Amino acid sequence: MIYSKMWCVVKPSVGIPVFIAAVAIASFSVHLALTINTSWVKNFLNGGAKVVAAAPAADATVKK
Amino acid sequence: MSNSDKVWPTGLTEAESEEIHRNLIQGTQIFGMIAAFAHLLAYIYSPWLK
Repeated sequence: MIYSKMWCVVKPSVGIPVFIAAVAIASFSVHLALTINTSWVKNFLNGGAKVVAAAPAADATVKK
Repeated sequence: MSNSDKVWPTGLTEAESEEIHRNLIQGTQIFGMIAAFAHLLAYIYSPWLK
């Protein structure tokens, strides 16, 4: 298996927590970004709303 | 020449290192499958990507 001898030079007590922390921080960052930058997460967690997606504005005519 | 009984600086032999790595890979695969299933549920039951 590729890289299987890395634990000969990286202490598992250091490397494994670093690996798990990297996954956790990356995952948390993505989900935090979703909750901050979108409105549907908050609406969904509040519950009660059947229709979430909003239709784009139908009135696209340019006024002079 | 590889000496399988050699103890490396981390205190492990090559066989022990490979055993740790096997378990870490297996744990990552199980985590990945659970995460994929959770994302499938989120896709089905939440407005995500709709």
